[in-house]
Amino acid sequence: MKNRLRVLRAERDWSQADLAERLEVSRQSVNAIETGKFDPSLPLAFKLAKLFGTNIEAIFSDES
Amino acid sequence: MTCSTKSPAKRRYLRRFLVTMMLYVLFLVTAVLVFVHHHPTGPLAWLLALLPALAIIGQIAAFGMYLAEEKDEFQVVLGVQSMLWGIGGTLSVTVVWGFLEGFVNLQHMNLIWVYPIYCALSGIAFALLQLRYK
Repeated sequence: MKNRLRVLRAERDWSQADLAERLEVSRQSVNAIETGKFDPSLPLAFKLAKLFGTNIEAIFSDES
Repeated sequence: MTCSTKSPAKRRYLRRFLVTMMLYVLFLVTAVLVFVHHHPTGPLAWLLALLPALAIIGQIAAFGMYLAEEKDEFQVVLGVQSMLWGIGGTLSVTVVWGFLEGFVNLQHMNLIWVYPIYCALSGIAFALLQLRYK
């Protein structure tokens, strides 16, 4: 699953560690999601959307 | 702060792991010493023989508690994956050993080695997964 996490982070000048702290997960987890190696659960996807003030579809897309 | 290497759940797990490991060493040394010097029989012998195993069961339970308490779902996935690799590897090693033991008289493997084999294989799997998702 593709995502725009890197872009959204860059817009806010957040590092992976900054985002991890806000999500209450490890930096390794943020990196795995960002690089498409791990698809987050629905609750975590909603948490990401809320954090970036947008909806899930604006962050994740099912394009391969 | 959960973006540090160890989450609160992981720190609790490491603490429980250390406690169960210390209990294991204590129970094992006690059992060996008592069996060597006093040759116990009956219920005492059973109890002494079971104590180290109970510590190991405690260690397995500690990992189960970690998986239940960890809030970082990706870390749970890593834990479950390493556990599955450990279980699959242990089943493979022991079934191969069993057939070799039965057909070509390979030395008998005591069942107390099953858990150390599992720990070694799941540990290797966890290290490889860490490298993969670095």
